[in-house]
Amino acid sequence: MAYAELHARSAFSFLRGASLPEALAAEAARLGLAAIALCDRDGVYGAVRLYMAARQTGLRPLVGCELTMEDGSVLPVLVASRGGYQRLCALLTAANLRAAKGEGRVRWGELAEDTGGLIALTGDEEGPVRRAWRERGAGAAADAGRRLAALFGADRLYVELQRHLLPGEDAGNEFLVDWARAARIPILATGGAVQASPADSGVLDVFTCLRHRTTLDAAGRRLSRNRERHLKDGRAMAALFADLPEAVENAGRLAERLQFTLADFGYRFPDFSVPAGQTQESHLRAMTRLGAERRYGTVSGAVHRQLERELELISRLGFAGYFLIVWDLCEFARRKGILVQGRGSAANSAVCYSLGITAVDPIGAKLLFERFLSEGRTDWPDIDLDLPSAARREEVIQEVYRLYGREGAAMTANVITFKGRSTLREVGGVFGVPPDVIGRFSSLFHGGDFPQTLELREQLGMAGLGASHPRLPALLETCRRVHGLPRYLGQHSGGMVLSAGRLSQFVPLENARMPGRSVLQWDKSDCEDMGMVKIDLLGLGMMAVLQDCLEICGKRGRPVDLARLPKDDPAAFAMIREADTVGMFQIESRAQIATLPRMKPETFYDLVVEVAIIRPGPIHGDAVNPYLERRAGRQPVTYPDERSRPILERTLGIILFQEQVLSLAMVLGGFTAAEADEFRRAIGFTRSPERIERVKVKFAAALRRNGVGEAAAESILKSIASFALYGFPESHAISFALIAYASAWLKAHRAAEFYASLLNCQPMGFYSPATLVQDARRHGMKILPACVLHSDAACRVDGDEVIRLGLGSIRGIRAGAIRGLLAARAGRSFESLGDFLRRTEFSAAELRSLAGAGALNGLAGHRRAALWGVEAVQGGDELFRWAAAEDPGGPAPLAMMSPLERLQADYRHTALTTGPHPMRLLREKLPGLCPAGKLGEGRTGRRVSIGGAVITRQRPGTAKGVCFITLEDETGFANAIVWPALFEKARLVISMEPALVITGKLQNEEGVIHVIAERIEPLPAIGLPEQASHDFH
Amino acid sequence: MNCPGYAVLRVGDFSLRSLIRGDAALAGRPVAIIAGEGRLARLAEVSPEAAGAEVGLAAGLAMARRPDIILRTRDPAAEAEANRLLVAAAFTLSPRVELTAPGCCTVDLQGAAPERVRALMDRCLAELARAALPARIGAGATPLLADYAARRSGGVLIVDDAREFLRPLPLGFADPLPAHAAILADWGLATLGELTALPKAEVGLRLGAEGVALWERAAGETRRVLRLAEPARTFVAQWAYEPPVESIEPLFFRLRRFAERLALELRAAGFVAETLALSLSLEDGTEHRREFRLPEPGADVDSWLRVLQTHLESVRTPARVTGVRLGASPARPAQRQDGLFDTGLRDPAAFWENLARLSALVGEGRVGTPAPADTHEPDAFTLQRPPEAVPAVADPPVHGPRGLALRRFRPPRPARVLCSGDRPVGIESEVAAGAVCRARGPWRECGRWWEPGGWEAEIWHVELAAGGLYQLARGAEGWRVEGVLD
Repeated sequence: MAYAELHARSAFSFLRGASLPEALAAEAARLGLAAIALCDRDGVYGAVRLYMAARQTGLRPLVGCELTMEDGSVLPVLVASRGGYQRLCALLTAANLRAAKGEGRVRWGELAEDTGGLIALTGDEEGPVRRAWRERGAGAAADAGRRLAALFGADRLYVELQRHLLPGEDAGNEFLVDWARAARIPILATGGAVQASPADSGVLDVFTCLRHRTTLDAAGRRLSRNRERHLKDGRAMAALFADLPEAVENAGRLAERLQFTLADFGYRFPDFSVPAGQTQESHLRAMTRLGAERRYGTVSGAVHRQLERELELISRLGFAGYFLIVWDLCEFARRKGILVQGRGSAANSAVCYSLGITAVDPIGAKLLFERFLSEGRTDWPDIDLDLPSAARREEVIQEVYRLYGREGAAMTANVITFKGRSTLREVGGVFGVPPDVIGRFSSLFHGGDFPQTLELREQLGMAGLGASHPRLPALLETCRRVHGLPRYLGQHSGGMVLSAGRLSQFVPLENARMPGRSVLQWDKSDCEDMGMVKIDLLGLGMMAVLQDCLEICGKRGRPVDLARLPKDDPAAFAMIREADTVGMFQIESRAQIATLPRMKPETFYDLVVEVAIIRPGPIHGDAVNPYLERRAGRQPVTYPDERSRPILERTLGIILFQEQVLSLAMVLGGFTAAEADEFRRAIGFTRSPERIERVKVKFAAALRRNGVGEAAAESILKSIASFALYGFPESHAISFALIAYASAWLKAHRAAEFYASLLNCQPMGFYSPATLVQDARRHGMKILPACVLHSDAACRVDGDEVIRLGLGSIRGIRAGAIRGLLAARAGRSFESLGDFLRRTEFSAAELRSLAGAGALNGLAGHRRAALWGVEAVQGGDELFRWAAAEDPGGPAPLAMMSPLERLQADYRHTALTTGPHPMRLLREKLPGLCPAGKLGEGRTGRRVSIGGAVITRQRPGTAKGVCFITLEDETGFANAIVWPALFEKARLVISMEPALVITGKLQNEEGVIHVIAERIEPLPAIGLPEQASHDFH
Repeated sequence: MNCPGYAVLRVGDFSLRSLIRGDAALAGRPVAIIAGEGRLARLAEVSPEAAGAEVGLAAGLAMARRPDIILRTRDPAAEAEANRLLVAAAFTLSPRVELTAPGCCTVDLQGAAPERVRALMDRCLAELARAALPARIGAGATPLLADYAARRSGGVLIVDDAREFLRPLPLGFADPLPAHAAILADWGLATLGELTALPKAEVGLRLGAEGVALWERAAGETRRVLRLAEPARTFVAQWAYEPPVESIEPLFFRLRRFAERLALELRAAGFVAETLALSLSLEDGTEHRREFRLPEPGADVDSWLRVLQTHLESVRTPARVTGVRLGASPARPAQRQDGLFDTGLRDPAAFWENLARLSALVGEGRVGTPAPADTHEPDAFTLQRPPEAVPAVADPPVHGPRGLALRRFRPPRPARVLCSGDRPVGIESEVAAGAVCRARGPWRECGRWWEPGGWEAEIWHVELAAGGLYQLARGAEGWRVEGVLD
């Protein structure tokens, strides 16, 4: 009988295992094991990954878990049946939900309530029996064993024996064998594997150090004594237990007893509660019909046919309840006045449009429904909802909990892995790398995982760890092995999973760090793999801006209806063509700004293309330049195959959207809709390059069969392969373009309201508040500073071109204190500084911030007078605060702040200035610098120097090491391109300096202006404030 | 000319100076001390060679501006060494010395002859400069004024007109609380004069009692009593090298620094050295130790160094030097008086003296109570200093010793082992030889995989046909007999 490893831990035991479940599965298969049971600590975090990996190899993936008990012992249990699995999930959920994250403990009493379907092992050195034997001797160990026998019975308890070739380990095993024989309990050999192979043992030692917050040098006996805790084959186990052959045989026998795998875990999506006499399907049909009439007015024959086709398919696939649940959430949001819009492929569905889930008419836009749903598809459709970020989105999330209960819904997990800088920082610390080297490394390479132009060895050399350092080889190897292993479990930004009955029967839940939320132990991909339905409730900063902006417009008597914005508004498109897009959704980034003058969008669909084209997929697939050249008429529009013309006509022969991939697969490859969708999903599955390669070969063969030429097939495959790097569905691009267009229209026609909302919803978007304010000023807005006499909590529009900053924009002021001020001011305005101080409840630090920001100028005259005045009531003693002099705001003996001091105070207290841009103060001292606004007057090839605050630094993965820098001065933005060699030479200056002078050759073509950097120096700007920068490098 | 009353001996950028003084490689290089960790790290002290990097700059930014800058954290050992030198120097001015702060001594000069004081000050500064610890002296009617003068001074500065002197001084001289410093900066105040221009009562109303005290310090109105320091009674200096050193230069550099300080301490306390004791800790755990009886007792640095250099040039150590220690014996120390609760030794002084003699005979690191080291490495141990008091009796272990005891051969004996498959079937070594009739194992152990000194062993217990049970180990050096089981 083949041996099965029934006690293995993966890296999903979080610092207690050194290998991924996939690696364990691969090694187990290589060793010829019959099965492997993953017993991760306090969870089934890695179970799906093991299950999916094992399916490829024929290995049986068994489910188990090491339960941390209330007395600190660790009990391994194996799942024999679905009931046992549900019991395990319930036990883990109960333990986790009553404790802080990571501190859940299972109570013996709870375990005793029902152990059906679970089989226990006595455990390893942390198990209840061996732990008692070690700490209190044989009597205590026998007691612990008897307790387990009473809980599980002699037929569901095994005495676990492990041999790791350690001197002295025989004593414990001899006791266990003697006790097992006396108690008539079977013995069972396990490897207690915590790593796939011996080579990973160093990783385990490093993890041990991280758990104990110590170093390898100081960890002493806490480190592994040898490298034996890896998977072993049946022969090796038989040799190890040559004196106890039944222990090894029992492992194989027990594995056969364990019938449960995740194939049988029993998940079901909840039904939607429908009115009496209705079914899910009939109710969906009724709601769709009502919605269609509202959306389309008159439902045409084409619309009716499409709706019927979709409804029929939805009913046949059993998804009606799902659509109703999402519709219900959208209705809730609308009732609460919360903006909501479906994104992603849901916008391909006329049903979704009719139900108000999405805002795009897929019939009008000729979108392919099969991208969303198709015959033969077994997985659930994916509907993602965009909501305003922060509090409004939380209302919808809490509504889901209210409807389905804390154990009926949960956020999906997000597995945070070791990567980039964090790997070196953590592993390096364990290796005893000096903190200054790690600090220097972090400064040099704080971009994390983006492709670097240097190897880790060279990076460490630059950080001060010489190539001859004796620990360098082991450090590099360990970093390589640790990279990608899970570090801890976070929560996904918005994915929620629901189930019929208690979700906690299907996967254990735990508390998220955010109060009021629970998270399940599987991530988004795991849930998809297990067929669990996920609804993404995504917070979008721009949705919050739109919501805020519409409210301000309404209050000012200039209401806007987003659904009825004029089409292809000339003013909005003029701004877009000029790349005047700061603050606009999706088209404000440096890369977008560099493309817009070439793209010259004129219609809404141009915007759809613009949103989709500046993405890693099209960039990687070399689609951008050909599209722009064809659009400008400099290149002919060609098609890889004449049959692809109708599919690619809208994008000038270039493959830009996922729907086009599907259509090509169906038209040129002869795939069914389901096959085409499977093809699309496979090429997007970045976890498995082999899977991508397999489907590409299949598709290439299909193309050949259908008479597509070799060159055309290759070109199609290359474009399609780039979708593995995040190509957009057209429907998604349209949904985003809708929001982008709305933001452009608002900036063009409701500028004050739009800027005020942008400032109110920070942090969001690409630019800092300081940059937004400067942009607003360049558009003629007058920005008034925050003032206790006039400001609200949020920014307010005081005129078509006047914005008053809110008191909330001052750092460190409590919202409650501001509410108190507003209430006091509503009763009676403040007469003097003394009056203000008596009737408000700001702390000393808050008063200093108010005074420093100039918010008390209306009462004190100037900032220093206010600073002098507010201190008078502090007196170093809060007790006497209310016994302050009648008027602490008497004449102050302090001089007014200079303009530079005011600027510094502005940035310190509000991170922006309503006064002139800091560069204006420097301009006279830097006569050689060309202002950003004048770069357009120069010709390509001219040598120029630009200078200003760095507002973006980017080294995108698609740019092969090129760095893009945007500088801001009082006239606008100046963009620079830095080639890799110069970047490496000036890496620290670029990364660290808040303001730069860049000299190089001007490139001014088609309205796109760059400086090709040749020299980069810090801007000599002593005393100027540091601006926030948007960095990806 | 009146005697100024108090003097303050101050080393500017003390942490940086101490560091540079202790590391020959840093002299003349752009160096800075950083405070804080990670991205919060900022320059706290900066050497003049690091132009372009100023105090308060983020460490990352400093590296951007000066790629050649050497960033270090404070070195407590170097600072302690420099402090002792400074105190010794201060005692050359007056017997009433206070160690006010790291790098700062206040000296009571009341009653001293003014002409003699000035000469002493110059000599003191020259002595410190020779010992690579450039200092400044300020003198004034109060310790506070003397301190301000020392901060302002380039060499020696004696304050006559306190009022005029104080007015332009930076506000930081008065050591405001950080919170007050922030408030005063917000008020736009930069000098002591600007603060004292504000009404004291108004300042008190706003900043409380500490604000009044600050105002008074700014006005030079504060007086205080010195907390006097004791002159040095033991004359020892030591240093640990990281990484270990292989050549004489860094060793001799350090010994010069030690000698400068010890000689000054001895002179300040009215002693001379009779003998010098040098010990070098070596990387292999051994120690090289040598005592020199000086031909003529004295405190002359150069003659000490000649003795030490002559010896060091003739020494060849078997391993790199990890630490150095230099002691000077002025006289036999007085016997220790037992404390009320001391137990154990009847004559602790004699015990420790005998122990020291033993150490001198067998080596410093080879005396003590062996205790297992915290590692899986076989036979690894540390030597612990004998406890001062009898330790409490530990609970008996849950599981007593099991099986036969292993008597280790130290060092393990190399062996030739004949194997059948993996199992030993015969051995040949100086301690055991013959056919193996029974073998048990293997057990495996490994450690320190993260550096070249990593080890790995496969362990067997064998019974020889001719009798005898032995523990064998196979590692990187081949087979060895580790001990006999009996």
